Amino acid sequence: MNQIYIEDVDLGDDVGPLVLEPTRDQLNAFTKVWGTSVGRFTSDEVAKSEGFTGVILPGNMSMAFLGQLLTEWCGYEGKLRRLDVDFRRSIQPGDKLNCTGIITDIEVVDQENQVTLDVFIETQKGERALQGTAMVVLPSKS
Amino acid sequence: MTTDQDVMDNLDYDSSVVGVEVDVGTHKVEQEDIIAYAKALGETSPLYLDEAAAKAGPHGAIIAPPLFYNLFHLEPGLDPKVNFGTTGFDAGQHAEFFEPIRAGDTISAKTQVSSVYAKTGRTGTMVFTVRRTTFTNQRGEKAIVMERRNVRRDIKK
Repeated sequence: MNQIYIEDVDLGDDVGPLVLEPTRDQLNAFTKVWGTSVGRFTSDEVAKSEGFTGVILPGNMSMAFLGQLLTEWCGYEGKLRRLDVDFRRSIQPGDKLNCTGIITDIEVVDQENQVTLDVFIETQKGERALQGTAMVVLPSKS
Repeated sequence: MTTDQDVMDNLDYDSSVVGVEVDVGTHKVEQEDIIAYAKALGETSPLYLDEAAAKAGPHGAIIAPPLFYNLFHLEPGLDPKVNFGTTGFDAGQHAEFFEPIRAGDTISAKTQVSSVYAKTGRTGTMVFTVRRTTFTNQRGEKAIVMERRNVRRDIKK
């Protein structure tokens, strides 16, 4: 894995995209390890009765995709310190997701290189399903 | 014009539970669950998936992807019994990460209702209940502090 350093980044830089197309099998594997039986995640019938067109992904699954975007970007020596998201739209298996970030602030606090980002998951319909902010600590080259 | 303060002044809920922290259980972190979770998400990092590589790495064991704590089955904690609107759902989540969760950890959790507030947007007035959960490992190290925002409102067609 290539390590990114604080010297490599600037305000306004894009992070990602991490492009994902979560499958029904992935959703089933996720709900199984979670041990949830919430119908809108596991049954098309229940999801339809709640006004969806079929099963949807749990918010904590799509939020984890933003975790993946940020931990892959910051590398082993970087740290994801904070993630805050709003769940705005539902995501279904087969949706094509663009997980991205943009750097909005860089500062050194207590000798830590803190990088603040806006983060998003956009669907193929151009809708922002998740929107939030994150803070990542990056190492220095020196 | 009804303000958000008016909504709060007239809201039927139990304000006595706000800020009262209670134990909501412990969770034993199994390596096979971390691996199954990471695979379901499509993660590829050996830190989550490869025991030998993870043991030789910075944490000395397989660690969990950051949002893994969402899988823990915990008690719900105190209920402010917010009586508002016809529907409720998770509106968002805030997490701060301190120590990674490692395979074999026993994580204990404490929860409190940290705030209840009203907010009016383009879809009408909503009442948010924020629950803050602190996850601590068996070494007494704070691992994660998470706030889950639940919202109640009327369904509008």
